[in-house]
Amino acid sequence: MQLDNLSKRFGETVALDIDRFTIQSGDVLGLVGNNGAGKTTLFRVILDLLQPDSGEATIVADGVNYQSARCEDWKAFTGAYIDSGFLIEYLTPDEYFSFVAKVNCIPKDKAEDVLHRYADFMSGEILGQNKLIRNLSAGNKQKVGIVAALLHRPSLLILDEPFNFLDPSSQIAMKYMLEDYNRHTGATIVVSSHNLTHTLDICTRVALLEHGRIIRDYSKSDTDMMAEIEHYFEGNVRHENHSPTTETGTQAIAW
Amino acid sequence: MDLRQAFKLYKLISKNQRLAEKRHPMFEKNRTMKYFTYIMAAFWACYLIFFGCLFGSVLRDESREACDIINSGFIVFLILDFVLRFAFQETPAQEVKPYKLLPVPTNFLMDVFLLRIGLKSYNLIWLFFFVPFGVLTVALLPYFGWGAFVGYMLGVWLMFVLNGYWYLLWRTLINRHFIYVLLPVAVYAALIVCGMVIQSWMSDGSMRFMRGFIEWNPLCVLAVIAAIGVMFFFNRSLQKYFLYFEIAKAERVKSVRSNEMSYLNRFGVIGEYLKLEIKSVVRNNVVRKQFIIGLVCTVMLSFLCAFTPAYDSGFEHVFICVYCFAAQGVIMLTNVMGVEGNYIDGLMSRKESVLSLLKAKYYFHSGMMLVPMLIMIAPAVTGKFSIIELLGCMCFTPGCIFPFLFILAIYNNTTLDLMNKMTQRPSNTKAQLLASFAALFVPMGIMYALIMVFSTNVAGFLILALGVIGVVTNPLWLKIIYKHFMIHRYENMSSFRATR
Repeated sequence: MQLDNLSKRFGETVALDIDRFTIQSGDVLGLVGNNGAGKTTLFRVILDLLQPDSGEATIVADGVNYQSARCEDWKAFTGAYIDSGFLIEYLTPDEYFSFVAKVNCIPKDKAEDVLHRYADFMSGEILGQNKLIRNLSAGNKQKVGIVAALLHRPSLLILDEPFNFLDPSSQIAMKYMLEDYNRHTGATIVVSSHNLTHTLDICTRVALLEHGRIIRDYSKSDTDMMAEIEHYFEGNVRHENHSPTTETGTQAIAW
Repeated sequence: MDLRQAFKLYKLISKNQRLAEKRHPMFEKNRTMKYFTYIMAAFWACYLIFFGCLFGSVLRDESREACDIINSGFIVFLILDFVLRFAFQETPAQEVKPYKLLPVPTNFLMDVFLLRIGLKSYNLIWLFFFVPFGVLTVALLPYFGWGAFVGYMLGVWLMFVLNGYWYLLWRTLINRHFIYVLLPVAVYAALIVCGMVIQSWMSDGSMRFMRGFIEWNPLCVLAVIAAIGVMFFFNRSLQKYFLYFEIAKAERVKSVRSNEMSYLNRFGVIGEYLKLEIKSVVRNNVVRKQFIIGLVCTVMLSFLCAFTPAYDSGFEHVFICVYCFAAQGVIMLTNVMGVEGNYIDGLMSRKESVLSLLKAKYYFHSGMMLVPMLIMIAPAVTGKFSIIELLGCMCFTPGCIFPFLFILAIYNNTTLDLMNKMTQRPSNTKAQLLASFAALFVPMGIMYALIMVFSTNVAGFLILALGVIGVVTNPLWLKIIYKHFMIHRYENMSSFRATR
């Protein structure tokens, strides 16, 4: 995937400002950054959910360039989940999976096979429950969205904060699931997350965003990646916290 | 995409849309409401059939056919249809979001949604009127025969399909800016004024055009089909253009001017909730529009009541006077707590904050009584209304009508989507319906009884007295409502969370 000269402003706020950025095939890229850094905006622009002020996102597959805003063919090999607003809330999860499978022209048995593979991740609370999606918990909605994005075995998977709302066991299951998926299919995966540990565990590459700009681009081989990222976020806390320093050197919070 | 795949997708999306209607949250929460809706639909169908038969048999004019008389005023049906669509029809751009990440071309989705709007059974609703009317005045001999009747029905249906697309165009525009409310007003007003100024042009044109369908004039049929095609094309382009805005609603950042409203500080905690109420009206689309609609109703009714001879007779006189004062409250308080459903957990974490909120709401809406009162001063000066009557109505609303509406705070448990434009479907529950009816008709019954038993002046005094009692005891009944709210709190909070 190639991002060229992408920019987006909301009023005075710069939400996105990326000159050039390339994501290689098979990469597992993690986007990290504080709130408002531009992670979701970047996803929305890539997925043609938001018109950028300038620039474009190009997805390359089998030697063909697909500019995401100009055609929709890339959707056939792309799976994405942004938030529960993209689920059809008046369907049951089974109906929704069936719908997504049909739209993607996946035979019923193959779809069932994929769902069976993720049955543990859904921990018996989703399939066959006859509950409408809108009545599921936030965590289960998240699982429905993620599994639906994986249903057609996409070669590009984009997940916005996939660990959100999930219980610790499901977060770990998800981590293994994504690693496994990348290993077996060679798919490119782009995730954003506030969970640094999980992100650094699964990603082969991590991009740090600030005010819409990619200010650092680490690869897994960078030995000091974890330390630098932690240092960055700790640095932000120090700047914002003006509490007095205690005897032990740590900053105390004045209540 | 080949034709077979397109048809398969069309069927899938159509099935989803049928499920969306069948599984609407309003029905899920309240089965009674579902049956009530069916009963109301059946009632309206019977009503239209009755009028179709009535007009078909009564309208006789030596110089014109009955169908020509109705056809000359066809614009009235189109205006009524336009207004009725307000409650039911959504724009496709709002429905596309869940499909946007799936491998379905957006243009195809738009086409499917637009096509389904044209083929909706809603467009057939007016046939309940026109079928019996057409049978009596077109199909049966000595009129035009069944072939003409089929042509007439086709024409009527096509006209309402066209009206549906015209409505959709306006609805899409008004979602962007409220100023577009003036567009249909201007169009229909221009047509009506034309009709009044050059009567023959308007009524003859309308009559001849509809007669064209009866006579199977291909030009008329083609003209409407072409107009539908043009509207379809405009809607498609507009919907596509606004799709990004609709999907990216959350991204839009508007800076707001923060107003301290320090003059409310003197009221302590209730003052803070008053500030919240005012900010809720100013900053939330849904609440703001409810407020504006309420205000427009109030001002219109007040002007009608004050400066025209309409509603001058006995009971109507007082009846409408009360509506002038009650309209705003009824429109806004029917959904009381719906807004607060968005942050109910925050409210519940502080002691008696819901009670303070209810008090603030009560004072806010009671304060709004000043608007009709100011307008009604003029007719009071000219003697059309007595001061006692006006004061009576002004106190009766917050004293006797509002308590019924505030009872809804106990039963309303559906969160109102604050930033939804005007498309949120009604989510009336059984309790909402009952309380609205009670709020409007029980006090009216009391007033009617008083006017029948006593003279208008004595009744005015008694109404005033009842109102004052209600106003003075507001801390008491608000406290009772709050206690009942607390009894229902777990059930309500869970429902508020589920409907966010």
